[in-house]
Amino acid sequence: MNRKAYKLIIMALCLVVVLALPLIGGCTGGGVKVIGISQIVTHPALDATREGIIQGLADMGYVDGDNIQIDYQNSEGDMSLVASIAQQFVTNEVDIIVAIATPNSLAAISAAKGTDIPVVFTAVTDPVGSEMVSSWKSHPNENVTGVSDMIVVSDDIDLITEIVPGVKKLGTLYNAGESNSVFLVEKLNEACDALGIDVVEKTVSTSADVLSAAQSLVGQVDAIWVGTDNTVITAFEALVGVCEDNQIPLFPSDDESIVRGGIGAYSFDYYDIGYQTGEMLAKILAGTSAVEIPVEKGKVISLSVNPVAAERMGVTIPQAIIDRAATVHEK
Amino acid sequence: MDIIGNLLNISLYEGLAYGFVAIGVYITFRVLSFPDLSVDGSFPLGGAVAAVLIINGVNPWLATAAALLSGSIAGLCTALLNTKLRINALLSGILMMVALYSVNLLIMGRANIPLLRQVTVFEQAAGFFKTGPSLSLAIIFIAVLALIILLALNWFLRTEIGLALRATGDNEQMVRGLGGNTDMTTIVGVAISNGLVSLSGALIAQNQGFADVGMGIGMIVMGLASVIIGEGLFRPKGVTAVLLAVFGGTFAYRLFIGIALRLGLPPTNLKLITALLVIAALAIPYMRKKLKGEWVPPAVRM
Amino acid sequence: MSETQSLLQLICVNKAFAAGTTDEVKALDNINLDVNAGDFITIIGSNGAGKTSLLNIIAGVYPPDKGGKIIINNRDITNFIEHKRAQYFGRVYQDPSIGTAAKMTIGENLSLAIARGRSRGLGIATTKRRLTHFREILATLQLGLEDRLNTLVGTLSGGQRQALALVMATISRPSVLLLDEHTAKLDPNTAGIVLTLTENIVSKEKITAIMVTHNMEHALIYGNRLLMMHKGRTIVDLNYQQRRDITVIDLLAAFERASGEQLADDSILLSTSKPSDKN
Repeated sequence: MNRKAYKLIIMALCLVVVLALPLIGGCTGGGVKVIGISQIVTHPALDATREGIIQGLADMGYVDGDNIQIDYQNSEGDMSLVASIAQQFVTNEVDIIVAIATPNSLAAISAAKGTDIPVVFTAVTDPVGSEMVSSWKSHPNENVTGVSDMIVVSDDIDLITEIVPGVKKLGTLYNAGESNSVFLVEKLNEACDALGIDVVEKTVSTSADVLSAAQSLVGQVDAIWVGTDNTVITAFEALVGVCEDNQIPLFPSDDESIVRGGIGAYSFDYYDIGYQTGEMLAKILAGTSAVEIPVEKGKVISLSVNPVAAERMGVTIPQAIIDRAATVHEK
Repeated sequence: MDIIGNLLNISLYEGLAYGFVAIGVYITFRVLSFPDLSVDGSFPLGGAVAAVLIINGVNPWLATAAALLSGSIAGLCTALLNTKLRINALLSGILMMVALYSVNLLIMGRANIPLLRQVTVFEQAAGFFKTGPSLSLAIIFIAVLALIILLALNWFLRTEIGLALRATGDNEQMVRGLGGNTDMTTIVGVAISNGLVSLSGALIAQNQGFADVGMGIGMIVMGLASVIIGEGLFRPKGVTAVLLAVFGGTFAYRLFIGIALRLGLPPTNLKLITALLVIAALAIPYMRKKLKGEWVPPAVRM
Repeated sequence: MSETQSLLQLICVNKAFAAGTTDEVKALDNINLDVNAGDFITIIGSNGAGKTSLLNIIAGVYPPDKGGKIIINNRDITNFIEHKRAQYFGRVYQDPSIGTAAKMTIGENLSLAIARGRSRGLGIATTKRRLTHFREILATLQLGLEDRLNTLVGTLSGGQRQALALVMATISRPSVLLLDEHTAKLDPNTAGIVLTLTENIVSKEKITAIMVTHNMEHALIYGNRLLMMHKGRTIVDLNYQQRRDITVIDLLAAFERASGEQLADDSILLSTSKPSDKN
């Protein structure tokens, strides 16, 4: 077979595959709205957010496959895909883009510029600081809105001082490459300064670094707090292991992580954040312009504790706290 | 079919924009035989430099040019590690990549710089044509840039210095014997290569709306895959043909990825697909020879 | 002896590898050599005698040990590194693939070679004028290479590559041509062609040449001066008159006398033909 024939066959194969796309990619009939969901990476909290979105929409009457179609794409941490996915949504003219996490929200907003596709971000800590919207309350120039997962760090720190009285040194782990985390660590330092607690920071670049960074905190700190850092949360079990082995109380800031072995936090259930986002999407689908919808913070902050995890790390949660907790995990 | 057209358009844009990375990888890996892995660091370097300058009010064209320059300096450092400190090429690239991660964070001051509110080269180009920024415009803009770079490289690789550069990767001993300073040619080559990679980073950051310290991860794999696919698919002969084939390979690579995404393949499998693609591109010529009964040379290490 | 000015001088040149250790090898032992302009010196010796080391030291691949000097055209180039020295020397290696760049065309290789000795700039390397010039030169070789300027060198045979390497080494008129057993890897026919080529180029362009060879007959036929090396020293130095009537057997005897040993290198003995015609 000579080179030309060989090339032609390859091209024909490509053409066949490309032509098969509409069957999978979804040529929609008129009237069905398409919602593109872009997620940065797979981990329980972000997955829970997505599930919340879908359920929230369903409860408001928008069911996937029925009167709406959901196109879900996950870039699995590959930055070049983040832009690709956003670009695809825009050129395929989806009706709304939902972006879970900061980089893909930025990419979506950038790609949608000049079009009238609204972008709804979620699980973004500081949308104003990231220039997604000009202010929390009103953003007349941006067809962008969403739900922020900004937590009140000082509440968490207060909780820590209740459960670990006399805490003097607090450790934390985060990926300096995640802007949400950098923001939260600043808040951490503010809250701890006010209480006279020293903060020991360790940074990681990948999930593989979490174990050794955790081990380096042993003997240096009285307790550990971690924020909603995607890199650290992905390797949360490793962190739990180190804390249990060395009796260091570990406080995450989201509910899924408390299930996985953290002691307690005033947190969002990311599913709730997703649900809240779903409700927001329903508003937009019903006709409200995203321009008019103010950015929301996660509404449902609840105290969630895990006394069994606490025991494993050598502390006992005072009964009073368990009583006021909204959720008590028994694992 | 709209979806196909859109996919082709997106892949065209990406093929051109990321094509500079592939050209850079081609210059180091193929022309100079210098396995430079610092690409994962110099790509975000370009994005970082451009973003920081733009948010501080610098004209985006200047910022982009500065990004190119910063990449060249990074390449210069990698080459110096190798030529002057006698650190082997592979290690030099890896060391630079590691160092650049911190350098990029230092330059940016934060992990992620949004460029949504800034005027980018794309917007300026759009303004020139009195329209708003769009994908089609981005394609035309980058195509023009790519053309300029292609012509410049095409000319450069035919000059005396360019020839010496090509020969350095082919037969370094001979070049020295002919009076060529192989340290200098290596430095020039690696500097040009990384300059182009940083240029790509600057353009991509401006178009996607942000610069992120992690945006370089996987760039070297993409660059290599693009070069190999381009060579396998187009079998180019001669300098000009090869440069075009590299852009073509990048386009093909991004197209395959786009198709995979559309087919619903989880991106975790994308790395596997990339590997399979590259293996196919490398193995098919070998397989054909064997089927024809031709003799094939034994396995090579590098 | 003669009044010709020394073109190239090696003074007190020593080279020891792994000095001070038990593996120390003295590659060159107190070499003092005057090469006159127009000399065509053949060098012969057993393996390890130091022949290639001598060429390497001249070309600057490594420097001589302290105290050694290398002077060309009255210029002390002892401290010049290899690529700086390249302006004076053209070199053809034993392996045809070292002297040429396989992935580039004949025209490009020649363009590289012609720039030896001066700094390379941003001018186009393979200009039409140069290509015409190259065609003329290659035509004199009568190997058909002049029609193949756009062919990749990697597709040429060993002999063709070596012939090309020879042209590349001499095209920019080096002061001295260094030939390191450059026909050793070729079959006898091709070797003969390349040697004739060498002779032609050297005499036509009046280039001073130093040729290392493994073949005693060649050492006697070609050139005007013969050097025999053993264990890093030159033990026999015959000028044209002395060489004219000598036979291979005589040469062997001379070797024994000078070194006190028998020349036991099979490759040298086997590569020479029967010493019948000389008598």
